[in-house]
Amino acid sequence: MGLENKGPDRADRVTPGGIAFPGTSLENRTGSWRLMRPLFETAPSPCHAVCPAQENIPDYLSLMARDEPRRAWEVLVSDNPMPAVTGRVCPHPCETDCHRGRFDAPVSIHSVERFLGDAALREGWPYPAIPPLGEDKVAVVGAGPAGLSCAYHLRRQGIRVSLFDQFPEAGGTCRIIPDYRLPSLVLSGEAERILGLGITFYPGKKLGRDVSLEELEADYAAVFLSPGRQRSRAFSVAHSVPANLHHGIDLLWTWKNVGALPRWDRVVIVGGGNTAIDLARTLLRTGTGEVHVVTDEEIPVDRESQKGWPMPAIAREVGLAIGEGVRIHAGRSIGRLLLREDRVVGVELVHALKELEAKSPVHRAFPGTETVLEADQVIPAVGQDLDSEGLERLLKSRDHLAVSNDGRVEGNERIFAGGDAVPGGGLVSAAIGSGHRIALKIGALLRGEGPSAVPALVPLPYSGLNLHYFDHGSSYEPMERAPGARNGFDEIETTGSSDLIRAEADRCLSCGHCLECDNCWVLCPDGAVLKTAGFGNLPVPYLFDYEYCKGCGLCARECPSGHIRMVPEE
Amino acid sequence: MASASDPGPVDLAELRAAQPRFSGLESGHGACQGCGQALAARLVLEAAGPDVIVANATGCLEIFTTPWPLSAWNVAWIHSLFENVAAVASGIEAALKIQGRNTKVLAFAGDGGTFDIGFQALSGMLERNHDVLFVCFDNEAYMNTGIQRSGSTPLGAWTTTSPAGKTRQGKRHLKKDLLTIIAAHGIPYAATASVAYPSDLRSKVRRALSTEGPSFLLLHSPCPLGWGHDSSLTIAVDRLAVESGLFPLLELARGQVIGRMAIRTVRPVREYAELQSRFGHLLADSPEAHEGLEHLQAIADANIERYGLLASGPEPRDSEGADTVRRGGTRWA
Repeated sequence: MGLENKGPDRADRVTPGGIAFPGTSLENRTGSWRLMRPLFETAPSPCHAVCPAQENIPDYLSLMARDEPRRAWEVLVSDNPMPAVTGRVCPHPCETDCHRGRFDAPVSIHSVERFLGDAALREGWPYPAIPPLGEDKVAVVGAGPAGLSCAYHLRRQGIRVSLFDQFPEAGGTCRIIPDYRLPSLVLSGEAERILGLGITFYPGKKLGRDVSLEELEADYAAVFLSPGRQRSRAFSVAHSVPANLHHGIDLLWTWKNVGALPRWDRVVIVGGGNTAIDLARTLLRTGTGEVHVVTDEEIPVDRESQKGWPMPAIAREVGLAIGEGVRIHAGRSIGRLLLREDRVVGVELVHALKELEAKSPVHRAFPGTETVLEADQVIPAVGQDLDSEGLERLLKSRDHLAVSNDGRVEGNERIFAGGDAVPGGGLVSAAIGSGHRIALKIGALLRGEGPSAVPALVPLPYSGLNLHYFDHGSSYEPMERAPGARNGFDEIETTGSSDLIRAEADRCLSCGHCLECDNCWVLCPDGAVLKTAGFGNLPVPYLFDYEYCKGCGLCARECPSGHIRMVPEE
Repeated sequence: MASASDPGPVDLAELRAAQPRFSGLESGHGACQGCGQALAARLVLEAAGPDVIVANATGCLEIFTTPWPLSAWNVAWIHSLFENVAAVASGIEAALKIQGRNTKVLAFAGDGGTFDIGFQALSGMLERNHDVLFVCFDNEAYMNTGIQRSGSTPLGAWTTTSPAGKTRQGKRHLKKDLLTIIAAHGIPYAATASVAYPSDLRSKVRRALSTEGPSFLLLHSPCPLGWGHDSSLTIAVDRLAVESGLFPLLELARGQVIGRMAIRTVRPVREYAELQSRFGHLLADSPEAHEGLEHLQAIADANIERYGLLASGPEPRDSEGADTVRRGGTRWA
């Protein structure tokens, strides 16, 4: 505002003394004093840097905090098209790394993600930014999270996608996750909405059986392979294999597709991964009397106190399983199967330790520590291997698809691979992230663009925040069914209400991102920060007026979220 | 990503004119980097609004805002002598009263012009019940003339006239308890404020101006040059002045304390001293330094006790909750 009239030109303004016209100090360009220059600079938040699906978390939390769930979801699905799924099944490393966790309690990011995913399914919000289809065609093999994500991100670039899967429905390994963790309707809901974007889905088409790699290479500009790991690893103990052996993953498939499982009195599941834990809890729910899980790994607890190798299963799910009555024998391995004829009557457990030696895990068992556990069924859940059918030419003798940094299968210009079939997979969110990254690579390849380096995200350190400006407050605790009330396959965690989720999103400290809190605007001693609200449609909330900024650095020091950086003047 | 720092084709002069606040103190003034007083003066006028007349005693604020023939003021403003700003403001107020005008009158002075040189004029203004808000920008020494100690300089602080050496640990006298002296005049409203708590500061200005009769605001304003702290630390230093108890934020009516900003987590005086070279000698490993720092700590403790500053639990307006940020800036409403 100020006074409109800044007075006559300087020559006439030179008064006999005693008088000066208002606001004429603007002639004095104090910016020339500056040695350091403040910059508004978005720094990656720790949640964003660690998210396997590369979600831009502070951006969608900010929109949710402003009660704009639809725009929040649109930001979210510009990276991850399946938030209702990952909001449920991802172990959310974002919350482990959340700076708010050091202040009071981490933001319950997965609750927001899940809420937004559910809201989109309920309201039928269309996926944003879907361009018309162009001429280029790409084949995607495997309709799990990696394949769906890749197909979706190719489609967002206007590329035609043919998606092949050996099964009748999309979803991949997610389809065996029990309903108490991921309801089938949520998975099929998001998968079908992605397919509905104009992606041609070929169910029941298996690579090597119904379609060959050579055909795909001939018909499509590029191929993305995400076949997952579908083949149970062979199981035997000291060369003995019991008759009537069921593999864990097969039982989970049976439960989801047939809806019935045998009832045993006492089951021993061998393995420490999600399959072992999911199956253990499913069996308890379908009438098996006692369920024991044997693993040479440790029960996952906080990282510091872990001595051995933690179970790869999601820590939270292990805790819930124990609460439900699953008995976990950690740090044990099976020394011997006790067989009567070819029928299992028990197992011999022996103390064991899995630990790192020269960067690879080694297994040690300690004779003299054996105990016997009676059981009428032993179920291996010791991991799955890649089904090599149709991939022989690429695999050679390896058990995985070897890819270069940009996702290309080594030695192949137009064949890419991701998801569990390549090393480093395992999480749904990581599969989605790999599908996304490679879709962008394929798009660039088809457009004839050169390789673009994606810089690693270096997150804003905790010390980059000014925590004085945040108040401690209560955090959102997702509603969970008590163990006694978990008799069926209803979900254990429920989706929060709009009010609670909005309040939770507002707890985000916005690490490295602008909160639009006005601190810089209010606190600049030189009036050199200008607010842009209501002035045109500027893409930023504030601007520095470098004509007057003296470079004192106060704004950077008092910015609560570390969005201002001081750099030396040239 | 487009650089958020590059204004591009934006007309900054137009944007400046469209700012959603009243800027009584314009950019281009010559205050040092990180000047607490420049910030404080803009915040006071932001709350007071354009319809004011300011009388300004000699001091930093007067010097850096009006290098002839320029002025940084966007309000009617007059420079008085060092000693008589309260008298000048009294005269303006009396003249406006005769003319039947509602323009508010503010008197601005530093601690030199308030605690020492202008004190008798201030006392007279309060005693004659003029409807003036007297704002003392307290930076605890004569900064404009080169950091000489004033009646407001705290115990132990180094200035050029209270040096620290073998026999003395900085200033050997206490900071004058001006607030109690003001309180003794029985005026309707008096308060202390800090630039570290701008919302609190502005609401106190509004309260003072809506109270008929004389009012007084003691406004703590760090001086990076005179206190010897980095220019970026102005707010951080003043926050510690409040959170240590050395500068309590209070409101008084007719001499009685009616409001206080409670401290949720009391910070040791040492943390405050460590940021400022004027207290550097008190951090030395000697019995004299130790005694000096403990003395300052005892003064802070006594303030907390005297004014009952400890918060029993989280309160929305205590020293930690008062400036909690809100998305979209509603904190400053």
